Amino acid sequence: MEAVTKYSESELVLLLKQRQQSAFSYLYDNYSGALLSVIVGVVTDTELANDVLQEVFIKIWRQIESYDDAKGRLFTWMLNVARNASIDTVRSKGYQNSQQNRELTEATYDAGGTTQIQTDQMGLRKVVHQLKEDYKVLVELAYFQGFTQDEISKILNIPLGTVKTRLRTALIQLRTVIKQ
Amino acid sequence: MNIDNYISSGAIESYVLGLANAQEAAEVQQLSLQYPEIKQAIANFEASLEAAAFANAITPAASIKQKLMFALQDEFVAPVVSLPKTDVITDATVEAIEEPLVKTAVVRKMNPLRFVAAASVILLVISGGLNVFIYSKYTEANEQVTALLSEKSTLTADNKTMQAKYTDIFASVEALSDTNIIKVSMKGAPGKESNLATVFWNSRTKDVYLYANNLPKTSSDKQYQLWALVDGKPVDAGMLSADCNGVCKLKNIVGAGAFAITLEKKGGSPTPDLTQLQVIGNVKA
Repeated sequence: MEAVTKYSESELVLLLKQRQQSAFSYLYDNYSGALLSVIVGVVTDTELANDVLQEVFIKIWRQIESYDDAKGRLFTWMLNVARNASIDTVRSKGYQNSQQNRELTEATYDAGGTTQIQTDQMGLRKVVHQLKEDYKVLVELAYFQGFTQDEISKILNIPLGTVKTRLRTALIQLRTVIKQ
Repeated sequence: MNIDNYISSGAIESYVLGLANAQEAAEVQQLSLQYPEIKQAIANFEASLEAAAFANAITPAASIKQKLMFALQDEFVAPVVSLPKTDVITDATVEAIEEPLVKTAVVRKMNPLRFVAAASVILLVISGGLNVFIYSKYTEANEQVTALLSEKSTLTADNKTMQAKYTDIFASVEALSDTNIIKVSMKGAPGKESNLATVFWNSRTKDVYLYANNLPKTSSDKQYQLWALVDGKPVDAGMLSADCNGVCKLKNIVGAGAFAITLEKKGGSPTPDLTQLQVIGNVKA
């Protein structure tokens, strides 16, 4: 059994860049749960989310060279890798087919008003659902479904400028909610 | 610009969450270098995001880590921490980064195949080299066999010649050791004193054998002819053939008193040219 080691973020990144197995193991043990909560926020299906998690860790491992600590924390970078992989999965054809029915009933922007998201409200998504409805929709589309602001303005039929300001306001609220 | 307004504009959150477009992201990065407050605001939001994610952490299926360790086993370096490691990303892994997970497994499984392919190529090259080497050895051996075969046939021929000579000599010894043999030494004629030839004459069977002890080589149109003097008259006793190297059996002679050899034209003459007398010797009774 390995001795319990605690790496600082910069040590961990260095060891990952040196292709150390122990560093990868440590990374997985410490971050997989948090990253899975991010993935589940987008993918919702737990089994599929686990598959995405596996893919995400392979991407993190193979793309660690492209992580630049000057641009932010390791977790933020990994969170974005996880979010992008999740959105890619959700947008893939196979997922679209399997989720078609659920998509219609669950999509938050669809019904407007009293959208019901059930037990799979987790992590950041749970936080988002504490936002006001107008903002919630924007964050849902932008963050969890990966639409650009331009696309959102078309989907919701609101001017791009409004999308921009509302989304930013939504994010400010999100920050406040997260801090609570 | 008003830093506080910027910080509360939502731009930072948009940037951290990856929702900002390239231009907006560049702007936030630029400002964070200029204003520590903005840098701090970014760090704060990152930290709270991270904390929220950890607070909501979901334990993944236990099999995931095993699968990952297995899938990446070829990409880990040996755990020698002291050695500085350089970039070990190969083309294959860079390619693999772009692949979705399902294909990643395939790429990883390719490694043994690639190994086998590389090994095959190496073996093929070695085998090819070996073929060339063995073929050159084969050619060499073939040439040696041919040379040996020709040498063998030469030796066989030589051996046959030797056997024939041996048989001849044995026959000669037998013939010459007969008790009825009379030996006639023919000395060189005047002016040709170094010449010498010997006739062995069997007084019972009348066989005549000639041995040329020392006679000069003849030109191709001339031949030595043996004469027997019978009652004072020369009688042809046969030609000394060029292909007789030892004791040669010539014509049978009855009642010879002496023998002599002259050099005649090829094929012999009916009467001897006495000017060409080479050797002569009397038969001792």
